[in-house]
Amino acid sequence: MDTISITNPDVVSEPSIRAEKAVAAVELPTYLYATVLASFSIMIGLIWDISWHTSIGRDGLLSAPHLAIYFGGVLAGIFSGIRVLKISFAGTELQKQESLSFWGIFRGSLGALFCIWGAFAMLTSAPFDDWWHNTYGLDVTILSPPHTVLLLGMLTIQFGAMITVLSVKNRMKAANQINPKVENRLRLFFALSAGFVLCMLFSIASEFLDRHDMHNALFYQVSSLIFPLLLVAVSIAAPGKWGATLAATVYTLFMAAMVWVLPLFPAEPLLGPVLNPITTFQAFKFPLLLIFPAIAIDLITQRVNKNPWLTSLLYAIAFLVTLFVFQYPFGDFLMSEAARNWFFGTESWYFGADPNWQYRFAYGPWMEASASVMIQGLGIALVIGYLSARLSMRWGKWMQSIMR
Amino acid sequence: MKRIISTLIILLSVSSFTYGHIGSPGVTLEGEAGPYAVTVVVNSPDVIPGTATVDVYLLDPAVSEVQLKPIYWFAGSSGTPKADLAIPVPGEAGHYKGEIWLMSSGSASIEVKVIGAQGEGSILLPVMAVSTAQKEMDPSLGWSLAGLGIFLMILMVTIISLSAGDSMVKPGEDSTSKVRTKRWIGAAVGLVLVVTVVWGGNSWWNSWSSNYKRYMYKPFTATSSVTSEADRQILNFTVDPTRLEQLTLTRNINYLIPDHGKIMHMFLLKMGTLEVFAHLHPLRKDSTQFETVIPPLPAGDYYVFTDVTRLSGFSETIADTLTISKAEEQLVTQWNDSLLIDTDDTYYITDPIIQSANRPVLPGGDIVICGSPGKKTMLPDSSYVTLELPDSREFKSNQLYQLTFAFEDQNGDPSALEPYLGMMGHAVVFKEDGSVYIHLHPVGSYSMASQEMMQTRFEGNSGQVDWDKLPNQRLFRDSVDQVITDLNSLPYAQRDSVLSLGMDHSVDDPDHPDHAVVKFPYSFPEAGQYRIYVQMKRNDKILNGAFDVEVTD
Repeated sequence: MDTISITNPDVVSEPSIRAEKAVAAVELPTYLYATVLASFSIMIGLIWDISWHTSIGRDGLLSAPHLAIYFGGVLAGIFSGIRVLKISFAGTELQKQESLSFWGIFRGSLGALFCIWGAFAMLTSAPFDDWWHNTYGLDVTILSPPHTVLLLGMLTIQFGAMITVLSVKNRMKAANQINPKVENRLRLFFALSAGFVLCMLFSIASEFLDRHDMHNALFYQVSSLIFPLLLVAVSIAAPGKWGATLAATVYTLFMAAMVWVLPLFPAEPLLGPVLNPITTFQAFKFPLLLIFPAIAIDLITQRVNKNPWLTSLLYAIAFLVTLFVFQYPFGDFLMSEAARNWFFGTESWYFGADPNWQYRFAYGPWMEASASVMIQGLGIALVIGYLSARLSMRWGKWMQSIMR
Repeated sequence: MKRIISTLIILLSVSSFTYGHIGSPGVTLEGEAGPYAVTVVVNSPDVIPGTATVDVYLLDPAVSEVQLKPIYWFAGSSGTPKADLAIPVPGEAGHYKGEIWLMSSGSASIEVKVIGAQGEGSILLPVMAVSTAQKEMDPSLGWSLAGLGIFLMILMVTIISLSAGDSMVKPGEDSTSKVRTKRWIGAAVGLVLVVTVVWGGNSWWNSWSSNYKRYMYKPFTATSSVTSEADRQILNFTVDPTRLEQLTLTRNINYLIPDHGKIMHMFLLKMGTLEVFAHLHPLRKDSTQFETVIPPLPAGDYYVFTDVTRLSGFSETIADTLTISKAEEQLVTQWNDSLLIDTDDTYYITDPIIQSANRPVLPGGDIVICGSPGKKTMLPDSSYVTLELPDSREFKSNQLYQLTFAFEDQNGDPSALEPYLGMMGHAVVFKEDGSVYIHLHPVGSYSMASQEMMQTRFEGNSGQVDWDKLPNQRLFRDSVDQVITDLNSLPYAQRDSVLSLGMDHSVDDPDHPDHAVVKFPYSFPEAGQYRIYVQMKRNDKILNGAFDVEVTD
């Protein structure tokens, strides 16, 4: 069975009943739930795995975080693979009409293809990473070539989930099958899937986005490269007015929840040298204040309908200014005594790092850009953000029209 | 031309040297963990971070647990993770095996803790944690990954192509020619994108690889030369002062410490035939220059292996090659051993390894000693030493042996041995082609000075090293040289008592009641023809004996 029906709530108002009757046959496909669940599982696994490596150090192929990641990959890969095979060789006429034909014999949705690609990339990364560790040592970094293959695989699966939601939404909209209840559900799924992509982007670039980086121009350049790229497109293509804001909310709640939950569990370093003898899981990072730039982006999407090159400039300026205004002072706050608690989790520290490092809770001289360097750096960030936003606008427009 | 080729061959063989002892990565230890006699073999990883395998052999059956943990010199005893259990090996009583992760490069040690009916005890084995290997990808894995990579590339181009065209066509509608054009444009853009990503990834991989190579362990190189003075030849050994890329303080040449009372142990071995052997102790002239007097050795090319240990406990071998010309007649006639600068210097000229099969059979020849087959050879003072062989009469590679030497005097009675450099015996193992060199003691193949440094460092709940408070390099160097000068000026017996402090010099073995026996735990790293020089002291005279052994896989 690959679809489920939406059941009526027990108590509904008159207009709702009318709308429900009008779209009685509307169904959200099961694979949509599966791919969003896969995306969630991958994200849980990834943050947990990063925490595992900063708290325990040693893991095995079948560690709990790895299993969560594998589950996501397998769920998305198998669900999508079976679906492609089923539609190709035993699909209904409607299913075939809703899918893409490729390589002469196969048919499948674009979202499914992304998920299959992601699953194969994750599969490829495993032996590659094993060889890498044997050749260059066990790396304690997020960004290495095999890890990037894995991250790209995971990101593609998450992107596939987002595309799946959008194609369902666009088809329903084109067929006038949308009702408020379905729309709300699609909005939720889109916010979740886009929010998890945002979490992934943040995790991938996290080596440049630490609290120690927040007073440096590179932080704003990296942010301007990756975040508008997603947030602008999400804002444009979302099934609702607050696409970017909702995605940023999911990101904020998810990352913050991981900061709150992980340290509740005991953990002990199993690798030496142990310079920081911790006893519980170390949190990853408190989320960036992306919610504010996301609101700014949504407001522009709602109110500005001008030349896309001009609009892109507005997006870039709005993103950079709001991020800088909120994040720069927030960096000071995160370094302060006030942030050293369970809520912000800034006391988390890698077991192999010296806990008495004088800049653990302070900006070293080299971390603080001077005003002139910062202004120059922000100028570069603006150019990067402008190009990123322009590309994202085009991408968002494309996402609005995905049908298959 | 011939000379150039031979020089190239020499250089090539030198470039394959690795850290510590050469070509023999395993470290063995024979000692006591509290009340328990223990033998430990550690095979360090060739890539850091990586895992070391640890084999622990115990005779006491009443052992309940064997724990292992790594302790880094720079991190101190408080910087260690909780211990891992070594697991009993099924079917091998007293054999425990475990794996230990070594996460950082540097001077480290593995603590083996034994818990049993007699209480608990522990012992430290120094391990040098450095990346020495440059690995290539196995072709089968390479092809598998390439296949998956090509599949991923094709699929991604397909996805981008469909994204640009057909994905926007409403269900049920046919693709128009405009869509088909977009599809092809998408494919072209996708191909360019994918190729760019692969190219970028490849560049990144290459930069990662070159970064790894930059920071991997590189042994010090050195330049050796011989100059003649009035009545003697001086060997100058100059260590290349090139700046280290990492472990700059851990491996700093100014922080050398004496091992067995010497700043450097130098071994000369004639290349190819291995029949000339010398164990010398150069003195330091300045931070990188060392010199010693050499006897008029036969002309030829020589391997030069020198062992040094640092304040950090980091021990390593600095190797070079040396061509010794024929000594002038006058030097040969005027030579006497008192010209050597250190009374513990010794040299030995014997049969070449290649002709070992044709060597005259010594009394007893291949003999049986205490129920085991053995090889017997006569020492320069007409006493005898016998190497006990395995029952099969040949050694196997990667198998732990107690290389057992039994000593008899001219009358067949046990020899009365005296400590030489604080130990009852030293053994030096060379592989025929010079690719394996190791200096063994009855306590194992590790640097004892390194172990002492670690033990002192880890006393109490020691924390991290304060790098800024390490001793001034020049003062440290001068102080160490002064200690060595003072030590060398002591009468032999007094000096030996200082060097032998805390050492067990028992040469009694219940299995060999009629011999003085010295054992060296060792595992040959690979198959081949080996020469073992064993050194001991008797009647105030340093004696050297040579054995050739065949090692098979």
